[in-house]
Amino acid sequence: MRLFRTLAAALAAGLISVAAAAQSMSPMRGEVNSFTDAFAIRVFPANPYDQKIKVEIHVYDQDFQPVDARISPSVFQLASQASRPVLVVVPFGGAVERKVRICTESIPFPNQQTQIRAQICGKFFAHRKP
Amino acid sequence: MKLFRPVFGAAVLVACLDRAALATTQNVIFNGTITATCALVVATNGTMTVSPDLQSLSSHNSGGSAGTVTLTTTGGVSLSVDPVTTTTVPAADSTATTWTPTYSASGAHTIAETGSATALTVPGADLVAVNLAGTKGGSNRFASGNYQATVTLRCE
Repeated sequence: MRLFRTLAAALAAGLISVAAAAQSMSPMRGEVNSFTDAFAIRVFPANPYDQKIKVEIHVYDQDFQPVDARISPSVFQLASQASRPVLVVVPFGGAVERKVRICTESIPFPNQQTQIRAQICGKFFAHRKP
Repeated sequence: MKLFRPVFGAAVLVACLDRAALATTQNVIFNGTITATCALVVATNGTMTVSPDLQSLSSHNSGGSAGTVTLTTTGGVSLSVDPVTTTTVPAADSTATTWTPTYSASGAHTIAETGSATALTVPGADLVAVNLAGTKGGSNRFASGNYQATVTLRCE
C-alpha cells in the first residue's frame, strides 16, 4: 500500500518516463516531486548487444556511496536488443531533497584477463513536498 | 416566366462557378524531446602483458592490447573510469600492485589518454580505448600465473 502511495505521488507529480530502444539506460536525467517519505523512479535499461547479458542496477549518492533503495529487479538477464522497466524506490531519509545516481552495470564479456564493466548512470533530483 | 427559370438557373450556376472551392489548411505539430543519453558497447576486452623487468603488467606493453568500447551520446554527459577494485592475482603474488586505468577516445570527441573524467558536450559516436597498467615498486615483481582485473567505464 505504501509503495502504491509512493508511486501515485510520483506519477501525480509528473514523473513519466518513456522507454526508448537501443539505449543502455533511459532516462539519464530526472527531477521528481514526492509527497511521501520516498520517491520512485522508473528506468529502462537496454541491451544493445547481440547476446544476452546480465544487468545489475545500483543506486549511489553524490559521492558514489551505495544508497539503501528498493530496486525491482536489481539483477536480471536481458535478451539481445531488449529493454525492460526497473522500478527504484528511494527513501528521503528525513531530508527534503535528495540527489541520487541510478546506474546500469554489466560485464558483457566476463572471464577475460582485463574485463570492462560498462556503467551508465542517470542523475536524479528528488524534492520532498510538504 | 418561361425564360425566368433558365436565366435564373444560369445566373446561379455562373455565380457558383466563379467561386473557387474553399480549401482549408491546418498545421500538424510534431514535438520531440531528447534527454541526455549515452550508450556503451564493449567490443573487446583488453590484454595485459608483463614487461621484461617484471614490474609492469600492462596493456601498453608489447603484445598487450587495449579494450575497446563504442560510445554513442547526445552530448551533455561525462565519461570516466573508476579506480580498479576487483582483481584476481595468483597465490604466488603477495606484494602490492598499483593499478592505473586510463582511456582515450577518437571520433566525435578526441580525448587524449587520461584517467580523469571528460565532459562530452557534442553528440556523436566514439571509439574508446581502455587501458590498464599494474606496476610494482622496489624489488617486487609480478609472479607467474593468471591475473584478472575489471575496469569500470562510466558514462553519466
